[in-house]
Amino acid sequence: MAKLVSLISGGIDSPVAAYLMLRRGVELVAVHMDNRPFTDEKNLNKTLSLVRHLQNLTQSPIRTYVVPHGPNHIAFARNCQRHLHCLFCRRMMYRIAERIAQKEQAAGILTGESLGQVASQTLQNLMVENQVVSVPVIRPLIGLDKVEIIDIARKIGTYEISTLPGLCCTIVPKKPSTAARAKDLHDEEQKIDLGALIKKSLEGMYVLDPEAL
Amino acid sequence: MYSILKPCNTSAAFEAIPRDRFSLDLDLCEEILGNDCTIVTNAGILLIVNDRCEVSIHKDGRLILKTDSKDLAAEQAARIAGWLEGSPAIRKHRNRGNAGRTDPAAGK
Repeated sequence: MAKLVSLISGGIDSPVAAYLMLRRGVELVAVHMDNRPFTDEKNLNKTLSLVRHLQNLTQSPIRTYVVPHGPNHIAFARNCQRHLHCLFCRRMMYRIAERIAQKEQAAGILTGESLGQVASQTLQNLMVENQVVSVPVIRPLIGLDKVEIIDIARKIGTYEISTLPGLCCTIVPKKPSTAARAKDLHDEEQKIDLGALIKKSLEGMYVLDPEAL
Repeated sequence: MYSILKPCNTSAAFEAIPRDRFSLDLDLCEEILGNDCTIVTNAGILLIVNDRCEVSIHKDGRLILKTDSKDLAAEQAARIAGWLEGSPAIRKHRNRGNAGRTDPAAGK
């Protein structure tokens, strides 16, 4: 059976993407990037509730990795261009998800991105995000609009969990780039020790087995 | 100094908007607030401190107060304002008028 690493937040989209793959028989490993202190613990709690709900709904056990992402945000905020922050964040998530995919022998990364929904999800930005990993990034929601995604979320019962209170990321720039260039991102990322950040993130992560949820 | 607002429907926090336009030197804020609060992190563009609740302090003076209670948010914003007002960490902008949205019924 195929296996994917599912990047999952406490929001509306990523649980829908996960559900669509689960119902196709794909085995999932969930990865939650913990953005504290730039969010709050409610987001983590919502994510774990969503994974538990998806497990019950589909009768598919899902191992969940929780990865500390706050220190990565601090490094980018202190050293790199502000308007590119969301791109650095997402590229880092992909890199870490790829490492977990290798460990889990998963075939790729699954995300809840849909085209144009937020600044980081333009075609240009998705392209430069893809460039940092060699595994495929699967985006089952890419052509859906928000209303369509919410309709599915309501049908599968994740909408009520996703819309519980939770603080949005507070380090998002006021004017995020919608058309980042790969060279600019690469040059900025040279200012920090990416390898050390990835290593620290992986050392700080913890795993919740399906029965622990 | 601040008007207290709810930032969005699903947020478990309040936002405090400065009534007058100013900017903050977050390194100085860290020094000043470190006497009374726990410094969670200084990310350069954002300072996070913990007092009665956790507060994200932006360079433009906005505060994100991580609490469900509007009363606690207003109290916490007033405490931060009390510590910072008149200090060198605040740089007021001239001739720019009222910067923030106003909520006359709320806040301090």
